[in-house]
Amino acid sequence: MNIALALSPLLVVALGALLLMLAEAFSPRQGGLALGAATVLFVGAAVAGGVWMYGIERLPEAASLAPWLLLDRFGLFFDMLLCLGGGLAALLAGGYLVEHGIERGEFYVLILFATLGAMILASSGDAVTLFLGLETMSLGAYAMTAFRRASPRAAEGALKYFLLGSFAAAILIYGFALLYGATGHTDLAGIGATAATARTPLLVVGAVLVIVGVAFKVSAVPFHAWTPDAYEGAPTPATTFMAVAVKAGAFALLLRVLLIALGDASWTSWAAGWPPVVATLAVLTMTVANLIAGRQESVKRMLAYSSIAHAGYALVGVTALMRDPTQAGASVLFYLLSYTVSTAGAFGALILCGSHGREAVSYEDLSGLGRRHPAAALAFSLFLLSLAGIPPTAGFFGKWFVFKAAIDGGLYWLAILGFVNSVIGAYYYLRVMVYMYMREPAAGAPVALPMRSGYVTAALLVSALFVLALGLVPTRAIEVAVRAATLGAG
Amino acid sequence: MQSPWLSVLSFLVVSTLVGLGMIGAGRVLRVRARHDSPLKVRPYECGEEPTGPAWMQFHPRYYLVALVFVLFDVEAVFLLPWGVVQRELGPAGVGAALVFVAVLMLGWLYAVRKEALKWQ
Repeated sequence: MNIALALSPLLVVALGALLLMLAEAFSPRQGGLALGAATVLFVGAAVAGGVWMYGIERLPEAASLAPWLLLDRFGLFFDMLLCLGGGLAALLAGGYLVEHGIERGEFYVLILFATLGAMILASSGDAVTLFLGLETMSLGAYAMTAFRRASPRAAEGALKYFLLGSFAAAILIYGFALLYGATGHTDLAGIGATAATARTPLLVVGAVLVIVGVAFKVSAVPFHAWTPDAYEGAPTPATTFMAVAVKAGAFALLLRVLLIALGDASWTSWAAGWPPVVATLAVLTMTVANLIAGRQESVKRMLAYSSIAHAGYALVGVTALMRDPTQAGASVLFYLLSYTVSTAGAFGALILCGSHGREAVSYEDLSGLGRRHPAAALAFSLFLLSLAGIPPTAGFFGKWFVFKAAIDGGLYWLAILGFVNSVIGAYYYLRVMVYMYMREPAAGAPVALPMRSGYVTAALLVSALFVLALGLVPTRAIEVAVRAATLGAG
Repeated sequence: MQSPWLSVLSFLVVSTLVGLGMIGAGRVLRVRARHDSPLKVRPYECGEEPTGPAWMQFHPRYYLVALVFVLFDVEAVFLLPWGVVQRELGPAGVGAALVFVAVLMLGWLYAVRKEALKWQ
């Protein structure tokens, strides 16, 4: 029974997904599934929170599932984070899909199954379960990207996403096959134990391939080519889900691999380990994505590049794992939380700014919004400020902790590059606000009209609450992140 | 005396014999088609033209059927190792396998309800 309690966040989402799938197929009434999906996911987050407070350590039977599933505080943190992100995406879908006439129940079922996959991915400590989780998550995301079937853009984005995602999965599993060949283990702890003692070329090639595979999934430059097209072609709630849950799941995988399989001192040294590789990815990702994002004419595409840039900031924290796994790990977890609520909010605000027939896409679509729809403009501004990292929002402390972890780890230059990049990033976030408050739409030009939806409003309220709460009193959340990261390192 | 590779050799021998045996049995046991229609001597390929260029459009129904097929194909793949150690797992193992099959049956139910198996 205790195992069921330890597994309860996964079980809630799995059962909810199956029930919703049947309800969608057998219910004569169409629609109304958004509420069901969001409820299941928020209940999943609450249950994970309950297990967290009860104390997963008091359920020793949970360890019997190791190494396949590591039911620890690290996994529970991601359960909460992923359910929150998935739930917000489901709420946004409830408004968006109906408004744009592509409401089909499958979308919500896909969100639930993909979230479940991400949760399994975040809890897995073995290459087999890890791959199962990764594919469950990715297949759902591919299908959601292609959801607008008649649109060539959606088809293009989905095909690119599917092909490159499959390549990434193949590279990842090839890396794990080499690691298995070199160590005789498929579980991360076993790989780590052997990797600590003997380093063979096979082991190094395997580790590099695994890191490359994960870099594809978190869309780090130079493995980001699929991201803008997939994010732009997908329905905006699917974009939200990919930017939020899929990215967080991939970061959970990266942290587990680097901490457990490659966590030995010989691998975390700057001279002979992975830190220079991750640092290079971080610098490239931040710089390239920020420079391109500033040149975008579509706000949705700008937000896609912004989500790539944010993966770069998080990678700064990942690099800092080399010195202090707990503090740096906690900074990455907190960053992912602040990024999740800010990004879900920003995409939600963008959804709210468009209505049937015309989505808000370009900067011009948002011009004069401060006058036409003050509430939407205010919400959008809040999330953009958070993404730019301006206090008193969640994004400020997210960046603060990540850069602080880099400085504490002696990576001054990395922290400075991150800071310079967030200044560059502020340009294109503020540009949206300039359009909303200081420009008027050109006379006679068609503009997107804001929609009305209780679902979208609810999602924006929840996101805004988190953004402000984390920005004003981050102490509680950072404590939680530290506890999650402590056990993840164990 | 007994090399560990003996089982591999015997596997190769048996699989070759089975393969050749099937082709040979087909020659012996086949019903002699009357050659009144060219269709009767064509190899059967699920209703598609068996020869010609491979770049052609398939009916999307094939994908649905293939997907449902994969569902049960993979189910069998996973049930086989379960069956090998089934005795040691005991009643809990049977319960777990039943849950596994039940979840897949839900997928099948969904496919049936969505008329994925109807050939229109």
